[in-house]
Amino acid sequence: MAMTMTGEVQLAAPRETVWQKLNDPDVLKACIPGCEELNKTSDTEFQAVATTKIGPVKARFKGRVHLTDLDPPNGYKISGEGDGGVAGFAKGGATVALTDKDGGTLLTYNVEARIGGKLAQLGQRLVNGAAKKIADDFFQKFAAETAK
Amino acid sequence: MPSVSMTVNGKAVSGNVEERTLLVQFLREHLRLTGTHVGCDTSQCGACVVHVDGKSVKSCTLLALALEGANVLTIEGLAEPNGPLHPMQEAFRQNHGLQCGYCTPGMIMSAIDIVRRKGHELDERTIREELDGNICRCTGYHNIVKSIAAGAKAMAQGGAPRQAAE
Amino acid sequence: MSATGIGAPVRRKEDLRFITGKGQYTDDVVRPGETRAVFVRSPHARARIKSIDVSAAMSMPGVIAVLTGAELANDKIGNLICGWMIHSKDGSPMKMAPHPALATGTVNHVGDAVAVVVAETKGQARDAADQVKVDYEPLPAVADPAKAQEHGAQQIHEVAPNNTIYQWHLGDAKATDAAFASAKHVTRLDIVNNRLVPNAIEPRAALAEYDAGADHLTLWNTSQNPHVARLVIAAFVGMAPEHKLRVIAPDVGGGFGSKIFIYPEEVICLWAARKVGRPVKWTAERSESFLTDAHGRDHVTHAELALDGEGKILALRVKTIANLGAYMSTFSSSIPTYLYGTLLSGQYNIPQIYCEVDAVYTNTVPVDAYRGAGRPEATFVVERLVEVAAREMGIDPPELRKRNFIKSFPHQTPVIMNYDAGDYQASLRKAMELADVKGFGRRKREAARHGKLRGIGYSTYIEACGIAPSQAVGSLGAGVGLWESAEVRVNPTGTVEVLTGSHAHGQGHETTFAQLVSERLGIPFENVSIVHGDTDKVQFGMGTYGSRSGAVGMSAIVKALDKIEAKAKKVAAHMMEAAENDIEFKDGKFTVAGTDKSAAWGDVALNAYIAHKFSGQELEPGLKETSFYDPTNFTFPAGCHICEVEVDADTGNTEIVNWTAVDDFGTVINPMIVEGQVHGGIAQGVGQALLEGAVYDKDGQLVSGSFMDYSMPRAHNLPSFTIGLTETKSPSNPLGIKGCGEAGAIAAPAAVINAITDAIGSEQVLMPATASTVWAALERANVARQAAE
Repeated sequence: MAMTMTGEVQLAAPRETVWQKLNDPDVLKACIPGCEELNKTSDTEFQAVATTKIGPVKARFKGRVHLTDLDPPNGYKISGEGDGGVAGFAKGGATVALTDKDGGTLLTYNVEARIGGKLAQLGQRLVNGAAKKIADDFFQKFAAETAK
Repeated sequence: MPSVSMTVNGKAVSGNVEERTLLVQFLREHLRLTGTHVGCDTSQCGACVVHVDGKSVKSCTLLALALEGANVLTIEGLAEPNGPLHPMQEAFRQNHGLQCGYCTPGMIMSAIDIVRRKGHELDERTIREELDGNICRCTGYHNIVKSIAAGAKAMAQGGAPRQAAE
Repeated sequence: MSATGIGAPVRRKEDLRFITGKGQYTDDVVRPGETRAVFVRSPHARARIKSIDVSAAMSMPGVIAVLTGAELANDKIGNLICGWMIHSKDGSPMKMAPHPALATGTVNHVGDAVAVVVAETKGQARDAADQVKVDYEPLPAVADPAKAQEHGAQQIHEVAPNNTIYQWHLGDAKATDAAFASAKHVTRLDIVNNRLVPNAIEPRAALAEYDAGADHLTLWNTSQNPHVARLVIAAFVGMAPEHKLRVIAPDVGGGFGSKIFIYPEEVICLWAARKVGRPVKWTAERSESFLTDAHGRDHVTHAELALDGEGKILALRVKTIANLGAYMSTFSSSIPTYLYGTLLSGQYNIPQIYCEVDAVYTNTVPVDAYRGAGRPEATFVVERLVEVAAREMGIDPPELRKRNFIKSFPHQTPVIMNYDAGDYQASLRKAMELADVKGFGRRKREAARHGKLRGIGYSTYIEACGIAPSQAVGSLGAGVGLWESAEVRVNPTGTVEVLTGSHAHGQGHETTFAQLVSERLGIPFENVSIVHGDTDKVQFGMGTYGSRSGAVGMSAIVKALDKIEAKAKKVAAHMMEAAENDIEFKDGKFTVAGTDKSAAWGDVALNAYIAHKFSGQELEPGLKETSFYDPTNFTFPAGCHICEVEVDADTGNTEIVNWTAVDDFGTVINPMIVEGQVHGGIAQGVGQALLEGAVYDKDGQLVSGSFMDYSMPRAHNLPSFTIGLTETKSPSNPLGIKGCGEAGAIAAPAAVINAITDAIGSEQVLMPATASTVWAALERANVARQAAE
C-alpha cells in the first residue's frame, strides 16, 4: 500500500537555523507526532519509538531513522522503517529541500510511504488522511521550534 | 479485576472481568450463553445483536463494564424454558429464514427491534433497509424478509415479545 | 405424497436449536483446561525470515508456549498438500511447492503464519503475540496473476519456474483452429473473473485435545468433510495415525467451499495440544479469515467464439490464467481444470472446443473451490460470449441460444462430459414466461421516464455435480474417490439413526435425509435421526461440496435402506412363518402376499434384536446395514436465470429489479430447502457481479480485508426472487437427483452482467460492476457514440 504526498511550508527562520533544527534529535522528537523516543546512534542514524493511530488500528512502531543525501544546508532525505508488531509495518521517506524565500526559508517535502499488514488491511482508506495529518502536525510544531 | 453486575435474561449475574472484555465475551465466555455469535471484528455483520434495556445493540461494540445494572436480553431468553417459541423465532422456522443458523440469533434479535421501532405491518422495502446491519451469507435474505413480515404480524396477535426492560 | 415424505416442504428439524441459540459451533465447545492460540502472521507479501525472537513473548503473563516453524520441522510434522494431480500439456506433473503449517525461511503472503502463542486466555495470547519479534528482510512480491509469468517477475518457489504450476489443456487445438478459419463471425472477449472471499459468517475455528493415556488426539473443527481432514492430517501431515485421531465437525456456520480444505491452523492446534498437554483452541478473527481462508475464482481469460452466418456455434477457444495464490490448497489444482474446462460446452452443441489453462503462483492467499468452483467461471465465459455474439449478429439472445441448445441425450461434448438428461428449451421457455419477457419493452420505456436504463440478461447455465464415478475422477488425477457412505441403524424400538458421510453446514440434511427414510420405511419423520460430522461415529465419508449430498449421499442411504428392507423381510418371514419371497413391505407394514397376516415395522425391528423367532445359523440378529455408493456419472443440473436491472444513468448505480430462476434439479426432496439453496446461490452470484472483489495492491497487501472494505450483499441489495422448476431425472443415481447448492452462484454473474451491458449498450463492464465501474463504461459509451455522430 503505497502513498505519496508533497507539500511546502514557509518558515521565518534563516536556512542555516532550519537546517540545524532538522538535524537536532530533540527537535525532531518534539515534532514527530506520537514520538516517544528518538536516540541518535550515529551522525545519520536514530532509533525511534512512536505510537500512531490509523483508523481502527493503533500501533507502537519501533524502528530506525536514517539520513541520506545530506547537502547542508540545502536538504536531505530522511527515511525510516518501523515495525508495529501485529499491526504491521510502515516505511517511507521524505526528501526535504530548503530554499531562501521572503527573508525566511521555504521547506518543500516529498513523501513516499508504504504500509503493510493489518494497517493496510483495515486502515488503507484512512491512511492518506492520517499521513496528511501527521505531516501537518509535524510542520506546525517544527515551525514553532524554528521560531524559538 | 473489576466486577460487573447486570441482569441477563431476567437473572441477576455478576463477574470479574478484564477492563477490555466486550459484552459478547462476557455473555459467551463468562455466562456460557453461546447463542450470541461473533462474525466480524468491525461491527458489520450483526451476528452478535442482543437487546440492552429494550434496544438492539451489537454486543461486540460494548464493554461489559459499561453495562453495570443494565438489562440484557439474548436469544436464549426470548422464550421461557419449555414454553412456546417467541413469534419471531417461530416465523423464522416456518418460513425457512435460516440455513446454517450462525447469523440467525442476531437476525431474530434485530427483527424484534425492527418491530418495536416500525410496527407490525412491515413492507418488504422497510425490512430490507432496516436489516442493513445484519449479514446473512446463506439465504439471500428472501426468506428472512418473509419471516420478519410474518413474525411482525404474529407479534401483534398476542404473542407479545418478552422485553428485557420488564 | 405424505406430509413428511419426498417432495414435501417439511420444516427443518435443525431449526429449533438454531433459533433458540442452542446450536453447538466449534467455538461454543469448551474443554476442561482449555488454552487459547493466537498466530503471529507475516505483514509482508514476501520476505525472508532472518530471525524470530520469542523470549519477550515467553515472559508475558499467562503464556504457556510460543512455537515456531523450526520446532514444527524438528517434530517432523509434514507439509500441507494438494490432493489432485494435474499434468501439463507436455506431460510434466504440476509443480507443488512445500507448504509448511508455520513458515520457515520465507513467508509468501500477508497472513502466512510464522509462530503461534498458546496462553491461558485469548487476550494474553494476543498480547504475547505482539511481543514476538520477527526480523524480516522484505523481498519483492508479485500479486497480479496476469504478470506472474512475465520474464523478470519474482520467482516465488524454486520448483516452479516463471511461477507456473502447470500449463494444462483440453480439446483439439487443430480442429478448433480449422473451425475458426471457416467462421463467418467471431466474437472475442477479455474476461476477468474477480477474486472472491467466501466469508462464511462463522469464522474458521479449531479445538484440539490430546489424551496422553490413550495417545489419542481429538479435533473439533469447522469442516465440510471431517474424514478427509483426518485422512490428510494423518497420512500426509503425519500428525498421528488415522485410528489415533478423531475429527468432529459440529454445527458449522456456512462453508461455501472454504471449509473443505485442510489448513495450517488445525494442524498447529493438534501439534500444540500434544506439546503443551492441554486442549488448544483457535478461532479466527474476521481480519484473519480474510488472510487465511482460501479465496475463490481469480481468472484472467481471453475467449473466442466462432459462428456461422446463421448464428450456429462452430467452435470455442479459451485461454485462462488461474491464480492459485502462494501455495497449492487442498483441491486447488482441479478447480480451473476439470471443474472448468469440462463445462465450457454449456448447454450448447459446440463441435470443437480448445481450452488452455496456466495456473500460477502469486504472493496472495491460496485460491481453491468457492461455491460453484470452476463452473461459475466456465458459465461466465460461455454465457457472456453467447450474449455478445447474439448482439453483434443482431439475433435475439434467447433465440441464438435456442438455435444452439443440445436437444438430444445422451450428448458427448468435446470436453469429456457426457450429458445424460436435460431439457434446456423447457427451462428457457418457462423462465421467459415467469419473467414476462414480453412485457420488458414496456418496463424499459417506463424506466426511461424515471431516468433509469433498464436491461435484461439471460444465463442458461449447466453444471456438473456429484462428481463421479471414482474410477473416472481417479483417471483425471483425483487423490480420493468420490463415492459416499451411509449406515442405517434400526433400533429395537423401530426408531432409526442414519450415519452419513455427508456433512451439513446449512443444507438441512437432518431434514431431507429423514424425509427419505421416513417415506421409504413408512415410519414417522420424528423417529429418524441423522448423524454426521464425527469420524468416531460415522464410517469413512467424503463430505459435502459440489452439490453432491443429495445425488451421492442420499443414494448411499437408499442402497443401505435396500439392504435393511431385505433383511427385515427375512425377519418378518420367520415371524409370520412364511416364505421370504412372499413378504411384501409397504407403508411401514410387512404382509404375506395373499393372506391377512401382517407385522408392523416396530415388531420386526424388535424381533430382529431379540432373535427369538430364528436361529443364529439361519439369520444374524440385528438390523443395521452399510452402503458405499459410487454413482455412474456426474449429474447435470441446468436452468435459465433472467435478471432485470435498472441503471441510474447519472451515477451508474445498478439495482436488480427482477430475478427469475427456473432450474432443473431432477427429483426434489424438499422444495422449501431447494428454493432456499437457489436464493443463497443467487445472492453470492450477485455479490460477485455487483459488489465483491478481493483487491491486492501491487505489493501484495490485501486492501479489501474487512467487512468494512469487502462489500457483500445486504438485504437491500437484492430483490425477492421468482423461482420455478422443471424436471428431468438424473439417470446416474437411484433417486434421480441432480443437486441444487451451487446453481444460483453459477448462473447469476453472467445474468447480471448481461443485463447491465444490455442496459448501457457497452460490453466493457468488469466485475464487480460497482457504480463507478458502470458509470465509467457509460461515459466511454457516450464518448464513442458522440465521436461516431
